[in-house]
Amino acid sequence: MSMFNEQINRAVRTQTNHSQVRMKSRIGSWLAFIFLLATAAITLLPIYMALLNSVKTQGEMLTNILALPTSLELGNYADAFRKTNYLRSLWNTIVVVIVGLTGIVLFSSMAGYKLSRTPGKLSGLLFGLFVMSTLIPFHSIMITLVRISKELKLQGSAVGLGMLYIGLGVAVAIFLYHGFVKSVPRELDEAAVIDGCGEFRLFYMIIMPLLLPISATIVILNTLWMWNDFLLPLLILTDYRSYTLLLSTNMLFGEYNNDWSAILASLVLAMLPVILLYLALQNYILHGIAEGAIKA
Amino acid sequence: MDMATRKWNKVVMLLVFVFPAFAFYTAFTLAPAFGGMWFSLTDWNGLNPVYHIVGLSNYAEAMGDRFFLKSLWFTAKFVLYMLVLQNVLAILLAVLVEALGRSKVWFRTIFFMPNMLSLIIGGFMWMFIFTRVFPYIAEKTGWMLLDQSWIGDPRYSFYAILALSLWGGVGYLMIIYIAALQGVPQHLKEAAKIDGAGAFAVFRNVTLPMIYPALTIGIFLTLNGSFKVFDAVYSLTGGGPGRSTQVIAINIFEEAFSFSNRYGYASAKAMILFGIVVIITIIQLAVMKRREVQA
Repeated sequence: MSMFNEQINRAVRTQTNHSQVRMKSRIGSWLAFIFLLATAAITLLPIYMALLNSVKTQGEMLTNILALPTSLELGNYADAFRKTNYLRSLWNTIVVVIVGLTGIVLFSSMAGYKLSRTPGKLSGLLFGLFVMSTLIPFHSIMITLVRISKELKLQGSAVGLGMLYIGLGVAVAIFLYHGFVKSVPRELDEAAVIDGCGEFRLFYMIIMPLLLPISATIVILNTLWMWNDFLLPLLILTDYRSYTLLLSTNMLFGEYNNDWSAILASLVLAMLPVILLYLALQNYILHGIAEGAIKA
Repeated sequence: MDMATRKWNKVVMLLVFVFPAFAFYTAFTLAPAFGGMWFSLTDWNGLNPVYHIVGLSNYAEAMGDRFFLKSLWFTAKFVLYMLVLQNVLAILLAVLVEALGRSKVWFRTIFFMPNMLSLIIGGFMWMFIFTRVFPYIAEKTGWMLLDQSWIGDPRYSFYAILALSLWGGVGYLMIIYIAALQGVPQHLKEAAKIDGAGAFAVFRNVTLPMIYPALTIGIFLTLNGSFKVFDAVYSLTGGGPGRSTQVIAINIFEEAFSFSNRYGYASAKAMILFGIVVIITIIQLAVMKRREVQA
């Protein structure tokens, strides 16, 4: 009898233990979820507040900063649009990114491919020279870089800025291409050469399409970098007509220091293209980021 | 075609393929790097074509420059905070997000979003939060903790800069850690759980060692990024009030382009920054290599 009781007791005890554990892990996952929600709220807070207050009048903003707007004050946007010269600034930014991307992708894929395929000292030396520089902080070269771009008359022009980005961006891109080319079978090169295909045709018709996955990663990483870079444009774009979105926004911020409604509207306008792009392409972007970081 | 011509052809082709990249690279990276080293030994002021070689005196002066040393110290403090907080937060978020079901995608999207934006834009938005929204909330709720001079008082603006940098940087590392977590074989975790390991023990003994390579990347990226911090400080405090929140990059920038135009002196400071980055990278790679072998 006592044996039987003992057994039942033990069974009951394990039962409670189990449900306690389950209870604990359920509470744990609720706490985790609440923590994630709170962090997400903090992450979105500045963007939400900017959106919210960008459609209020200055007076309404002062009386209640947290409330929903009573009416849509789109005048702020018209103001910001005009003061930042939005379309021109957007266009300049696009020009910088397109010039930079074209050069980086075209030149680095060529160089990375050949360096990876050619054995020997010269090839190793050249590759080493490219890789070495990835350690150099931008601030260590910016002073002389400004001087050089002045000499070459690249200052004050979006195209010029794009060309500087080519020089600053090829090293990392070559490194990524160099690694990726190793996974492309050599037999392809040989077969094409036997078929009488010239070196350049071989590269552009056969190799380049095979490099597409790594090219996508490189495009994503470099677009983000050039689009959001501030210091180099600040130093190079001396002419306000060549200002990028960031520079125009920065200028507006400096000039209308306390007019927050106009400033917030300009911030929303500056964010808009990136956020839209992000929401449309986020899977590619997140994948590219992870790829790039792991390989580099 | 004999062997010699074949080999010669190969060299020519190599040079042809490398040339465009190399030309841009030489003009806009190599030349300015060597130029910086050279000018750091001169008294060049950027305008005057005539300058003199002054040896190492720029370096000696930098080592005694109160503001430069202060900016070094301020940056070091910032780097230390970032190193710990950014990686811990990113791993925590990665682990928690990975454990979710369908809502995973939403959280990932939100946490990464700030990384798409420039910290100049982010800085202006946080400036609004710090100088307008927080005081408003403090006034309405009496929650005085929020009512500090977040931008104007260097004691608090350090944390404002830190918060902005974390806001803009954690998502990037989170993505890297998520990728690493997805590489941890599920059966290892299951096995540990069957052996009676709790959630934390599983993380500590199974997951963490498996994501060690990602930790190396995370630490490397944080170190590299935060030593060169510029945008976050520029947009929030501009290095002020006075020069109290100056980081190295801001100090060099002002020395060269706004206060004094002393290009030679600023170049010397830039080379010191370069030296620091190189030393830290070497130490870090060595330490990490050894630990990976042990694990």
